[in-house]
Amino acid sequence: MPADLVPLASTSQIERTPSREDGIPPDLEEDLRAFGCKLIHEAGILLKQKQVAVATAQILFQRFWYTTSMKQFGIGVSPSLLFFYPTRTPQFITQDIGMGALYLASKLEECPLRMRNLINIYDLLLQRTSHALSPKTKDPFKYAPMSYFGNTFYDLKDALVVAEMQILKRLGFNVHVVLPYGTLINYLRVLGLTSRKDACARAWGFLNDALQTPVYALYAVPTIVSAAILLASRQLGISLPSAPSQCWWDLFDAPWEDVWSVCGYVMRLYRERAPEERMRVLRLVGKKDVRGWLEENAVGS
Amino acid sequence: MAMASGSTSSTSTPRKRSKWDEEDPDDIAIRQQQQPSKRSVRTRSRGARQPSPVRSELHPATTGRPSHPLHSIYVPPRTHHPSIQPSRSVYCYERLNQIEEGSYGVVFRARDKETGDIVALKKLKLDEEKHGFPITALREINALMSCHHDNVVRIREVVVGDTLTQVFVVMDFIEHDLKTLLTLMPSPFLQSEIKTLMLQLLSAVAHCHSNWILHRDLKTSNLLMNNRGTIKVADFGLARRYGDPVGVGGLTQLVVTLWYRAPEILMGATTYSTAIDLWSVGCIFAELLLKEPLFQAKNEIELLSMIFKLLGPPTSSSWPNYSTLPLAKTITLPSPQPHQFRQRFHHMTIAGLDLLMSLLTYDPEQRISAEEAAHHPYFSESPLPKHPDLFSSFPSAAAGERRRKPFDSPSAPVRAADYKLLTEVDLP
Ligand SMILES: Nc1ncnc2c1ncn2[C@@H]1O[C@H](COP(=O)(O)OP(=O)(O)O)[C@@H](O)[C@H]1O
Ligand SMILES: [Mg+2]
Repeated sequence: MPADLVPLASTSQIERTPSREDGIPPDLEEDLRAFGCKLIHEAGILLKQKQVAVATAQILFQRFWYTTSMKQFGIGVSPSLLFFYPTRTPQFITQDIGMGALYLASKLEECPLRMRNLINIYDLLLQRTSHALSPKTKDPFKYAPMSYFGNTFYDLKDALVVAEMQILKRLGFNVHVVLPYGTLINYLRVLGLTSRKDACARAWGFLNDALQTPVYALYAVPTIVSAAILLASRQLGISLPSAPSQCWWDLFDAPWEDVWSVCGYVMRLYRERAPEERMRVLRLVGKKDVRGWLEENAVGS
Repeated sequence: MAMASGSTSSTSTPRKRSKWDEEDPDDIAIRQQQQPSKRSVRTRSRGARQPSPVRSELHPATTGRPSHPLHSIYVPPRTHHPSIQPSRSVYCYERLNQIEEGSYGVVFRARDKETGDIVALKKLKLDEEKHGFPITALREINALMSCHHDNVVRIREVVVGDTLTQVFVVMDFIEHDLKTLLTLMPSPFLQSEIKTLMLQLLSAVAHCHSNWILHRDLKTSNLLMNNRGTIKVADFGLARRYGDPVGVGGLTQLVVTLWYRAPEILMGATTYSTAIDLWSVGCIFAELLLKEPLFQAKNEIELLSMIFKLLGPPTSSSWPNYSTLPLAKTITLPSPQPHQFRQRFHHMTIAGLDLLMSLLTYDPEQRISAEEAAHHPYFSESPLPKHPDLFSSFPSAAAGERRRKPFDSPSAPVRAADYKLLTEVDLP
């Protein structure tokens, strides 16, 4: 198997994701995936973690939801945790796949994180989310560090170990990831775009934004990179050869339908949302829907 | 769809030990009968399942443009990618016999219940890990998964037992390991056979190196050989990626079983690279010729003095950086002496000796690479490498016969210690 053959979701996994099979609507699943990836991204920045590890974590996170339903595992911070926040009861702490993905990816990229740091950062992000939801949102956010002497920390540590193992198991231990950046540089060179700094930066940005979408679990890198270049060149009005039989994306073996599909995923990230729609994601990892989730899940049993 | 299996185990405690490796296969068979529904129905082995391409079902009819049918060899179509699949259960396999308890894990011979294939299952030691899944085990699995090559043992999948601490690497079963074979063989390999084995080994090592993988524990007991004269490099338990662009942290010196350890590691170098594997290849080459390990030293100092004796002590031309190595000051070099290769390997041709000496070279910079070594004149002079099919086959000790311990060779440093050291070095 050549090194660039990464696992990709099968057609049936894409058509009927485990979460969708469990009745979670597709657009909600998409939003929850994006939110989990955002948390990974923010945690990565706060931890000053290498970008390669953060990107790898986001890709593993996206893959995970093709073998596992969101009904079974928490997205970023576990709903039950938020529900019982701040008095966390050990038995209600469930897996935290986002945190586990970042922990695992950091080992894969040879820059392991200390559990304590990772847990603290996720705790901070969690408190911020719950602050955004609270009626007192107008008040400035104040972080209340967790006590090292309580059980919370140790419970979270156990949860982290379990989450990491679950990711490995649910991905069949195939955690091979290929990042797109080197390919982007090659393609820009081939297309003679390296002098257009604006185009390079924009395409690079699209590749990073795409990390919040499932595309890295769906398409090979050449397709995704071609999509980033397509979006960048269209936005900047750069014309590239696209007459039939000599289209530039053919050079990179990127099927047009797939390139277009990737563009669709990325563009949907930027669509206008109603405030209610925006809050829904937060709330789902938050209080309101937790009862329902808990009943269905029997979390932590 | 294979989504349902395994999710229930998330609630089981990570510390509970399962029975797979402690029970009799008969017991397992009974358990299986009692809970037949636990296993999900699956299509055949992993490689056979290929996703079909996803076209624009998510964006129906966005354009009318036909997709380009011609693909270059560089970008395999989407259908060639493996799909995302959870680990299967170890109960998909029936245990046959234990092959060997290694330094790290236990290796079993087993049968795939669906296909009847005979496989080797290596159980990873995972208990009492303070840092979650051990980074060394991750490296082993990743290295095997990314080093597909005819002369690297093929990993089929990774399966799990009842608890989180039970992880098994499933590999093709290979009848022999070279160490046992060398002790059981009545007469040594022929030159033509040695050439074939060396070419295979060099090709595997070159492949690993071109995929940025250092093996770091090459030795005869980690080289498997089937009855068709093919060598398979195994045991990537110490493997590691090299050349990571940013801050890798120090590399550990606790690598490579003593007898096969390169002089730069012995001298305390903290940066080392592909050349350490080629020193080990040199030791293996010599072992094939001598039918016993080249440097059977009891400790580092004895090993160094054996190396000094065979190669002659290092000089400023044979090893320019010698004096800058951490342990150089603590060692008193013997007075200059010529090397003893000719005396020790009297039946070798000049080309053969040259290859051996190019591998067993002090200076890692001057040591031959795997790629170069594979093109060495030794391999094109008479006798030519023997076709693998012409190798005679041997009874397989691993397939069941009681195995006797050949020489009690030391093993690579205990990996728990290695892991600890790594995390200590890697973390700020
Ligand atoms: N795929 C295999 N087929 C047959 N025997 C194997 C296989 N893999 C390992 N073994 C046997 O088990 C021994 C130990 O396996 P290895 O992977 O080297 O583990 P360790 O890390 O414990 O040394 C090998 O020396 C070999 O005899
Ligand atoms: Mg071994």
